[in-house]
Amino acid sequence: MKKQLQFLIVLIFSFTCHLGFAQEKTVSGTVNDTDGLPLPGVNVIVQNTNRGTQTDFDGNYSIEVSPGEVLTFSYVGFTTETLTVGEANNYNIILQEDASQLDEVVVVGYGTQSKRKLTDNVAKLTAEDIEEVPVPNIQSTIAGKAAGVQIAPTNGKVEGGVNIRIRGIASIGAGSEPLYVLDGVPLINNNESSNGAPTNPLLTLSANEIESIDILKDASAAAVYGSRGANGVVIITTKKGKEGRSSFTLNYSYGISEPTNEMEWLNADEYIELFTEAAVNSFGEQDGTEYIEGIFDFLAGDTDWRSREVDTDWQDLALQSGHVQDASLSMSGGNEKTTYFFSGAYNDTEGIITGNDLERINSRINVTHSFDEKFRAGMNTSFSRTEIDRIANDNAFVNPIQAVAQPAISPAYLENGDPNPNTLYPNFLLQDKHAFYKTVIRRITGRAFGEYSFTDNFRFNSDFGYDLYYQTEDSYTGRLAPFQSTNGEGYASSVGTESYVASNYFTFSEQFGSAHDLEVVAGMEYNQSNRRFQSITGIQFPTDDFETISSAAEITGGAGSESANSFLSYFGRVTYSFLDRYLFKASVRRDGSSRFGEDVKYGTFPAISAGWIVSEEAFLEDSDVLSFLKLRASYGETGNANIGDFASLGLFGGISYNQRPGIAPIQASNPQLTWESVNQLDLGLEYGFFDNRISGEIDYYVKESDGLIFNEPLPGTSGQSSITRNIGVLENSGVEFVLNTRNVQTDKLSWNTNFNISRNINEVKVLPDGQDVVSGQTILREGEALSSFYLIEYAGVDPDNGDALYYINEDGGGRETTTDPNEANRIIAGQPYADVIAGLTNTINFSGLDFTATFVGEWGASIYNGGGIYQSANADFFDNQTRDQLRRWQQPGDITDVPQARLFGGNGTANSTRYLQDADFIRLRNLTIGYTIPDALTDEIGLEKFRLYFTAINLLTFTDFDLYDPESVSDAGQGAGVAFYSAPSARTMSIGVNINF
Amino acid sequence: MKKVYNLLWVGALAFILGGCDEKLDIEPRQSISTDIALSSGENIKNILIGTYEETSQSASYGGFLQMMADLYGFEDQATWGGTFQQPRQIFNKAIFVDNSFVSALWLNAYESINQANLVIDYADIIEDETERNTAVGEAYFLRALNYFDINRFFTSPDGSLGVPLSLEGITDYSQNLEIPRASSDAVYQQVISDLENAYELLPESNSFFADKYAAQALLARVQLHVGNYPAAAEAANDVIENSGHSLTGTYADAFNNDVDSSEDIFAFQVTSQGGDNELVVHYADQRFGGRGGDITVNPEYLALFGDTDDRGSFFYISAQNGGTLTEKYTNQFANVSILRLAEMYLIRAEANLREGSAIGATPLEDVNTVRARSNAELLSDVTVDDILLERELELMFEGHLIFDYTRTGRAVDGIPADSDRLSFPIPLREMDVNSELVQNPGYGS
Repeated sequence: MKKQLQFLIVLIFSFTCHLGFAQEKTVSGTVNDTDGLPLPGVNVIVQNTNRGTQTDFDGNYSIEVSPGEVLTFSYVGFTTETLTVGEANNYNIILQEDASQLDEVVVVGYGTQSKRKLTDNVAKLTAEDIEEVPVPNIQSTIAGKAAGVQIAPTNGKVEGGVNIRIRGIASIGAGSEPLYVLDGVPLINNNESSNGAPTNPLLTLSANEIESIDILKDASAAAVYGSRGANGVVIITTKKGKEGRSSFTLNYSYGISEPTNEMEWLNADEYIELFTEAAVNSFGEQDGTEYIEGIFDFLAGDTDWRSREVDTDWQDLALQSGHVQDASLSMSGGNEKTTYFFSGAYNDTEGIITGNDLERINSRINVTHSFDEKFRAGMNTSFSRTEIDRIANDNAFVNPIQAVAQPAISPAYLENGDPNPNTLYPNFLLQDKHAFYKTVIRRITGRAFGEYSFTDNFRFNSDFGYDLYYQTEDSYTGRLAPFQSTNGEGYASSVGTESYVASNYFTFSEQFGSAHDLEVVAGMEYNQSNRRFQSITGIQFPTDDFETISSAAEITGGAGSESANSFLSYFGRVTYSFLDRYLFKASVRRDGSSRFGEDVKYGTFPAISAGWIVSEEAFLEDSDVLSFLKLRASYGETGNANIGDFASLGLFGGISYNQRPGIAPIQASNPQLTWESVNQLDLGLEYGFFDNRISGEIDYYVKESDGLIFNEPLPGTSGQSSITRNIGVLENSGVEFVLNTRNVQTDKLSWNTNFNISRNINEVKVLPDGQDVVSGQTILREGEALSSFYLIEYAGVDPDNGDALYYINEDGGGRETTTDPNEANRIIAGQPYADVIAGLTNTINFSGLDFTATFVGEWGASIYNGGGIYQSANADFFDNQTRDQLRRWQQPGDITDVPQARLFGGNGTANSTRYLQDADFIRLRNLTIGYTIPDALTDEIGLEKFRLYFTAINLLTFTDFDLYDPESVSDAGQGAGVAFYSAPSARTMSIGVNINF
Repeated sequence: MKKVYNLLWVGALAFILGGCDEKLDIEPRQSISTDIALSSGENIKNILIGTYEETSQSASYGGFLQMMADLYGFEDQATWGGTFQQPRQIFNKAIFVDNSFVSALWLNAYESINQANLVIDYADIIEDETERNTAVGEAYFLRALNYFDINRFFTSPDGSLGVPLSLEGITDYSQNLEIPRASSDAVYQQVISDLENAYELLPESNSFFADKYAAQALLARVQLHVGNYPAAAEAANDVIENSGHSLTGTYADAFNNDVDSSEDIFAFQVTSQGGDNELVVHYADQRFGGRGGDITVNPEYLALFGDTDDRGSFFYISAQNGGTLTEKYTNQFANVSILRLAEMYLIRAEANLREGSAIGATPLEDVNTVRARSNAELLSDVTVDDILLERELELMFEGHLIFDYTRTGRAVDGIPADSDRLSFPIPLREMDVNSELVQNPGYGS
């Protein structure tokens, strides 16, 4: 075998016209850093010759040398090592980190690159940044750690959707989620929830198995993903084994969660006072009192409200203390041929809302084997099971948070301990007791890959990736649950979405002399995704002990549907650097997709970029102050193909009427419908001062989205209410500033600070015919930010009579007011998305102690309280009111912003700026304090490392926002920036332990 | 070994260079293209079924339309106590221009109208003549039903401006789609002509779909509304005499039926597997599938009934809020009755009385026919006011109330019948997308 291999090597070398010298021998080995991590891309040069190679992805190198020659191993960010070749054929090298240099490896599409020579904007996070944060979803761990990347959780439900917005929102109707790529596999990221509130499809990932997250922000980085790169790309790389002895890592943490905030509601006394006043104001002293006392009698049920027998804190019943338990164990290791990483993880999260839990199990195996120096292959496979106990969407009576609408004089439970069924609104406790909604997500994601190196510089990669997202939902609503009238109702659904991707690409990298460095990547990819959904609903169950559909006497609904899409792509990329300081890159991708209209099947997405490492120039080389300076610029085009599978077709779908089949129009046709294209310019500057004690980046970008896909409202008289069109232009432009400092660096103490801040200006540039597009409380208008709030302006209260007033805001008019909301004109009153976001992380290590604190701040967004017209409506209806309603106008001369209480009076209850608030906040997102027991002690008990830590999320919040949470909005599709009985975020405090052995 | 590698390389190259363009052609599985939908007679008939389904949705005849007509008319008969703001605005006769129930009614009606238009436009490809005539007749009926009701809600207070008239099926959405409001009279004329056409085309009976008497019954209602009393009396008489429908034995039998009763001239079909009945949702308590009784009946209304009148005890107490609820809606899977024979008697009576005629029967006989069925004391003479009261007793909560006030010029709760407050606003979303529209007075511009 060995002979055969040698023969083969010789053959291939001659085949590729490489000049070989028979007297030389092959020396190989691995280059690691001091932590034992393999270093890819290390330059291995035979001194005083132009022969050289680079280490591969696993830090392996092999090179032809003659004994006595000297090898130099150099790698940016590390000290250079030299070695004189002797008798041995195998030399493993350890490179020391050189703090004065600035480099790390970033993962880009279909390869890796050195950060130093990168001409793109890529933010890199490593395992250290994201592990130990006590949240079940990985997105939330990123918050505040990458400039220009906003992590926007929907609200405090454990499974809630999380939006990642990279450099603002570049789309209106096609989704603003980035593309997630896990070890080369584009991840399925479709919300598959059937209860109206989205679930986060990436819940299935465990932070414990992730090595790094690279966020491709500019077009130059993302264009290699073509029609799916417009919202940026998040590349997740999982952990790998390292050559060397086996190691085990165990992590366990347990913590408790509480809501970040609670609101103040009227107690029984206050409720009776305010509503009596409201009824009297509306119906007169006698009629009003009589009427409202009848209502109080009803609300209080069998209890005596006059003696204040009951004073229920409904909020307290809806919110609870939860817990988070997280455990993971991994084993990794390898030898020179094979490396492996096995891991398992368990997460058990009980949410802060009654009835909301999550339990997840993950497992992963990553194995790579080098058959010989030419060919290696491997496989990454993971599976996970996530079980979620769900509660209703925000806009449902049985959403626990809606319990805050129940008056405090209503008892929550009857005397026998059962939930009280006679409340103003359905009592969610009945739902909690007699109904359930369970979602289970099973996910398998894997990639098999092979890499064949024709020569040291020329290799071929073939990957096959597969992602299966299989979800079932089961729910049963028992007889005693609210609204149940059919002897129970059961629902079961299953949906399977699979995506498979085959990628094949060649990589050629060569150093010509010491000046020229060239890498060329070219290949193709085919990706198909299939989705199959079924559901069934049944009613009439024998008893509530039967909860599955088989026991339903009557089947009332069923659905079965299939859908698919495909992408066929060709891509290429050339990276070239001259003298290690003049950098160029160009890439192109051509994508065809089944989703695009007949007339526009294929699109081409090019990008170019260039960089100049100024600090390498002679005139700066010796500067004591400036240690690194790089200028870079990029321009390119990407696309957004999240337009739905058949959005371009005019369609009729099946319906049934009294069990007779029929068809009805469901979609207006548009054969020109295609991807949104995003052109992005990025100008960047990377700097380092004083041996890079101070370093960072400044970027300016302009991102123009053209041909926005949008459901344009149509005149309803046409028979359709909207059509999907590529209309309009949207621009995001902004500045990002990153500052990293090593404030103190001694043997005992190190203190590092990372600060980032970004400002993004979002502007709608062009709409068809310049027409405003109004939907709900938001508007698209040229020159304004996306989905700006469009509301009539609340003018406060008339001091003379307590009437609510609105500004008329007529064009050219003054500040006249009116009591009739229909007479008032709407104005642009704010925007739902933050325009300034910042993160600040301090890391301090002192002896065995470590301390990390990350603050996140967001400014510029407003939130509209959709529930305001019920809950802060000066006793317009019987809903319990926020306590600030006690400020109501009571007598002439009162100066206040809460109008006179008038039951059913509609006094100030129109949708208006009365219910719009700034949502600026600063939050201590994450705090971790750890202590590592000294080596001397751990050695004694046979451990490599033993660390105890405390970690917390959302520990402190600084905000003037007075609803539940500035990071909590409705999950029921009620429009951008609208909160509606939306749960606050969780504040979690955990203690944990890491053990390595 | 080398062979293996070479094979791999060649294979990979072949894969890369080999085209797989056809992989990009993926057809939808649950839907068909507009072209296919409009190219066969069978599919045109399918679109007709779709039109029934569309028209029977919640936003209109699934219940909200009828509910809004009653809420808009309530003085002291009943009270909206539910949480929804939109019905409350209608109950208060103070509607905001962004009221989503109002805009949903508008959108749903025009979706139905467009589908009916498509059936009428493409019916030529239905080969069988009888089938073709029936399909077109049904489409005329459904189009007339939708136009009639939205025109009643949205006509400007002075009666001049009606709703926009769209009479051709639209499939090309790249054209200019903005159309102005037609005169209210023009819309009513279109409705009358559609119903006359439908009457000619439809068969005597047509299962649970619209037959010629459904068209005639609706025509009677329309003629009464526009004040053409002779025509109203003739149409109602034709239905009573010739349709074969009869009053149910008891008042209760006329409601909550899974299958159309003998009295139902036309009803939208609801089953446990499909169809909407929002009337149950808002009029019933939770054990019947309602929300507990959003609309509670007041003592003032109950006092209108005589002692023996079955209709006066057709109520129950909500287990949730203790209010009095109508028993008309206690089966969540019941059909939604649109045209009942009892209404025809009352139309014939009113029209005859106003004209001084006695087509079919005298007004007194007709009113007593209706009263006798419910064991109410029989009247000895009858005035227009008696008939209007009888309509309130018989037809309450079925979507007639506001129109009975406005067509007779009677004030509602002190609000004059021609007040701005008694016409719906043109929905704000529609004003935003159609520059040809003129808003009704009192709702800004």
